[in-house]
Amino acid sequence: MDIQLRRGILDICVLKVLSRNDSYGYQIIKDVSIFVEISESTLYPILKRLEIGNCVTEYSVEHNGRLRKYYKITDVGKKKIEDFIEEWKEVMDVYKFIADEMGESK
Amino acid sequence: MNKVEFKLCLEEKLKALPQNEIQKSVEYYLEMIDDRIEDGMSEEEAIIALGDIDVIVNNIMLDRPLSSLMKEKMKSTNGLKTWEVILLVLGFPVWFPLVMSFFAVIFSVYVTVWSIIISLWAVVFSLIIVGIVGVGSSILFMIRNGFSGLFILGCSICCIGLSVLAFFAVKFISVCLIKLTGKFLRAVKSIFIKKEA
Repeated sequence: MDIQLRRGILDICVLKVLSRNDSYGYQIIKDVSIFVEISESTLYPILKRLEIGNCVTEYSVEHNGRLRKYYKITDVGKKKIEDFIEEWKEVMDVYKFIADEMGESK
Repeated sequence: MNKVEFKLCLEEKLKALPQNEIQKSVEYYLEMIDDRIEDGMSEEEAIIALGDIDVIVNNIMLDRPLSSLMKEKMKSTNGLKTWEVILLVLGFPVWFPLVMSFFAVIFSVYVTVWSIIISLWAVVFSLIIVGIVGVGSSILFMIRNGFSGLFILGCSICCIGLSVLAFFAVKFISVCLIKLTGKFLRAVKSIFIKKEA
């Protein structure tokens, strides 16, 4: 998959996971990697980017004697998911057109 | 490698970053290690699962703006010694033009790419305009001289046809060129990262 496309999709996947409920790094990786491959080193810049863009906020919770950082989606983040879905409706129409053409030519 | 060694190694490789950035990154990765251990892995397995530490550092660095990367690279020398200051002052006529030309090269690559894109689109639009104006004027020519009018009409229709083909070709080329500038910026950034890692 194209790097830019993958980056954009991963951002939305992380936001989608957080829209269900607040979550922490390792759990986000587990949830997202069901659909797209993601590693710790990929997730870190994504979370930072989303935080700078005010799409998520973070807070710490004590867990087994240590602090665990939880991420919470904001309204800006929710709006980003909605925009993504709207934009991809158009992309899916083009995809259908291309896939149908390919099917016919076979 | 154990958790303490991993922490020290990561801190050392990120030392050029601001202190709060280092702390945030280290906390994130330590939390990942702890979560994996809780999930049943051994400490060593958890660290191996995080992948190559240089990839981790690269991903952190690549997300920073170019200006910050350069500043951090300069800061990483941890203060300048007297002879370095003297060299810096004496070498000003050499390094200053070099730094300027470095930025000039980056700037000119961007200007070149965008001028290619603009000029290609200008070709497409001129073909469309020539085609439309040609069709209109061919009617006037046909009234005066049938053959030259017909010739102009044919040429104009060719231009319109070419403009349609050129539109798709130029669109494809533009997308490729824009992607190329993105890769170029990443390559420039990695100059400042690889030497650090």
